[in-house]
Amino acid sequence: MVDRILDALKKCGIDTWQIVVTEEESAELFFIKKELDMQRCQKVKTADVAVFCEFTEGENHCLGTASVQVQESLTDEEICKLLQDAYYAAGFVKNKYYELYKGTKEEFVEVASTLTEKSLTEIVQGFAKALFAEDHREDVFLNSAEIFAYRYVNHILNSRGVDVAYRKSRVQGEFVVQCIDGQDVETYQNFAYDNWNTDALREKVRAAIEMTSARAKAVSAPAAGEYRVILSGSYVEDFLSYYISRASSSMIYPKYSTFSVGCDVQGSETAKDRINLTMKASVPYSDEGIPMKDKELVKDGKLELIHGGNRFAQYLGIEPTGVFQRCYAPAGKISLEELKAEPYLEVVNFSDFQMDSFTGHFGGEIRLAFLYDGEKVTPVTGGSINGNIFEAQKTLVFSKEMQVEKSFEGPKAVCMDKVSVAGA
Amino acid sequence: MKVKPSEYLREIKPVLLKLRTRLLQEFPYVSLLAQDSTAKNYSVSKTSTMIRMDNRLSGRGFVAKVYDGAGYAEYSFNELSEEKIEEVVAAIKSKLIPMSDKLPDGVKKSCYAMIEDEPVIFADSTDYEIDPEEYGDEKIIAQLEEVSKAGRAYSDKILDCRTHVSYQKYSKLFLSKNRDMEQNVLWMSGALTVMATRGEEVKDSYKGFSVLGGAELLQEIGKNVSKVAQTALDLLESEPITPGEYDCVCDPGVTGMIVHEAFGHGVEMDMFVKDRAQAKQFVGKQVASPLICMHDGAGAAREVASYFFDDEGVLAHDTLIIDHGILKAGISDAQSAMHLGTEPTGNGRRESYQRKAYTRMTNTYFEAGSDKVEDMIASISDGFLLEEAMSGMEDPKNWGIQCMVSIAREIKDGKLTGKIYSPIVLTGYVPDLLKSISMVSDTSTLCGSGFCGKGYKEWVKVSDGGPYIKAKIRLG
Repeated sequence: MVDRILDALKKCGIDTWQIVVTEEESAELFFIKKELDMQRCQKVKTADVAVFCEFTEGENHCLGTASVQVQESLTDEEICKLLQDAYYAAGFVKNKYYELYKGTKEEFVEVASTLTEKSLTEIVQGFAKALFAEDHREDVFLNSAEIFAYRYVNHILNSRGVDVAYRKSRVQGEFVVQCIDGQDVETYQNFAYDNWNTDALREKVRAAIEMTSARAKAVSAPAAGEYRVILSGSYVEDFLSYYISRASSSMIYPKYSTFSVGCDVQGSETAKDRINLTMKASVPYSDEGIPMKDKELVKDGKLELIHGGNRFAQYLGIEPTGVFQRCYAPAGKISLEELKAEPYLEVVNFSDFQMDSFTGHFGGEIRLAFLYDGEKVTPVTGGSINGNIFEAQKTLVFSKEMQVEKSFEGPKAVCMDKVSVAGA
Repeated sequence: MKVKPSEYLREIKPVLLKLRTRLLQEFPYVSLLAQDSTAKNYSVSKTSTMIRMDNRLSGRGFVAKVYDGAGYAEYSFNELSEEKIEEVVAAIKSKLIPMSDKLPDGVKKSCYAMIEDEPVIFADSTDYEIDPEEYGDEKIIAQLEEVSKAGRAYSDKILDCRTHVSYQKYSKLFLSKNRDMEQNVLWMSGALTVMATRGEEVKDSYKGFSVLGGAELLQEIGKNVSKVAQTALDLLESEPITPGEYDCVCDPGVTGMIVHEAFGHGVEMDMFVKDRAQAKQFVGKQVASPLICMHDGAGAAREVASYFFDDEGVLAHDTLIIDHGILKAGISDAQSAMHLGTEPTGNGRRESYQRKAYTRMTNTYFEAGSDKVEDMIASISDGFLLEEAMSGMEDPKNWGIQCMVSIAREIKDGKLTGKIYSPIVLTGYVPDLLKSISMVSDTSTLCGSGFCGKGYKEWVKVSDGGPYIKAKIRLG
């Protein structure tokens, strides 16, 4: 496919371009309770081709771009027509001039993983076994689950010498746990692993079963008011996503974010823990062919790096890092047990947690939380969190215990004071 | 004008018919869904302009669904020729079918009957006024630039004005032993977002647009710039609300979010199969005010989720879900309907040929009533007018409401005071909210500027809406 696209580009006289060819295979299993409801697999190949047009408009030096999807089923004439139309369209995209990332031809990379040696069928079957390994209770059980095993090859080329490729395997999915002991309730979980982490999935199911069982005992919403709130699980990552989003070049260049290297991202009134974040490379190359390396983003509350793709990095005069899909935050100094010594509202399950990186607002409806009033712990459900990070970040405390999620490794919990809760 | 059929699907159809024949030698039921789709996204902001084909929605591809005497299995692929027919058959027999050979202890394969496959021959296309492909990228971008500039010029407190439009022109072919169905559809949607800033904080106001049609949509976007920009500025002065239960009037966008997120997901009958929806126990019972009638269906309205048949070859319906407050029926895909012993309603939809079909909403709305909006506002002594639906999440199991809106305009003694509260989280129990509806406006509006996910994936185009409604809602 690459040769046909290169021929077409040449024929159309397009000399600035980028091609990303993706070949993907999958095996997929869909379960309802203890029955396999559907099995699927796929084999597809597509190419995303971006063409670039350099022009001037008045005093502005521009590089416009437009992209199209190319498939094997297209004829050579159809490919040419697509590329010509895209090149014509790129002439109206008046983006400030920049140059494509410059690279070289590199060796094919087989991303190291314990999934590599197994077939996709073996992977879904192995993870299905792990999924159901803890599902042996009658009062709380797996209601439904989906498992997807993928293996894909990405080949990235551009007109400035980039020619890199890698193969990666991953497994991902989701499951719902239902509890019919008392109230009939459920909780939703998702998962993704780059390795044969069947034990991690089994542990996730076990924890979800416990959590769902607790939710069935939660009957009332917390009273409206301000609480010392503990966010745990994946919500720690969601909360910290504000800083990652605000530190991206695509937010900083248009001035949507005022972050700059060296600035105090947490504000000057920080009374407790300082934020530390490292961006982690999860693939060898970005979709622009930029080699991905781990980079420290925030150190003790100070911004160390502006991250992002090639175009906005050039506008800002910094090195492009590529777009990261994973981050790391170090452990805090205080154990969960110590965090829970004072009254708190620990939210372990929202229906949908939202962190708005523009307004700093965060919140969501509480599916399950534990309320400690200084005497006893009560599971509660209902009501909603309605907080703002500009206030919350002054009193953050991270737990000593860590968690590993699909795109985050960091503290299991983060605590903050005086968060507004709309309760019963 | 009618959307033209795909040349590619016309050319590949003889090969698909051969593949169908070959697969019917191996399996008692076979269906093939073929798709040829072009989808493009355009956006303009202060610092960036973008034209790109939407990779999720674009492409040519196929799904072969087979029945092995017990259950169903699917193979998705996007390369097909006469020479590759045996390769596809071999992949289905040697890779797909054996996937269920080694199931975990205690887990078995579901047992379904074979799809009845009543004969249907069908072909039709939707209408449009202006084909976006013919209208051209230059004009589309020029119009978006004009709107973006107007928004940025509105005030020096405006940080940016982002405009975007998307369209999808798709052709689908559904073939089984007894069915030969073809449809060609074009929709276009867009949005306008104005951002205003004060220090670190950025507030934004948003308005969406959509049409089952083409570039005629572009004219609508420019008409709304000033209103959206002023709202963004007003939001800079907004305050957090005091949590509590209030009398509220919801605009059609917020009504649509309640219809779709709070109730609609709960009547997707694949959730009935899984015992994940409380609605299953409420069929035939009162779930809403007698003022409420709710519909869903690709044939229920002319909007972005309209089509002639779904991705399982079932003709589009107009399903009356709530009839004067009584829950009458849910919506379903073919496999869920088989499981429940009901009729499928034409709601089996795939994100693309690469994904499984699930029960999905289409155009979902409340019917209009007889009240005037001004009378609804005048009837409230202490409450809010809720505008700009931001996000929502379903909770079919417990009917908990999780919806966010940008704006609560204060109403005191029947009049808007001009004071704004933001952001607002709506919570509570869905039937409580729906039963509390006491007034319904006399016009109903739908919009489909966004996509709907099943959980956090499987994005499909939907529209929702309805009239202004007055209800008691817990706000936070």
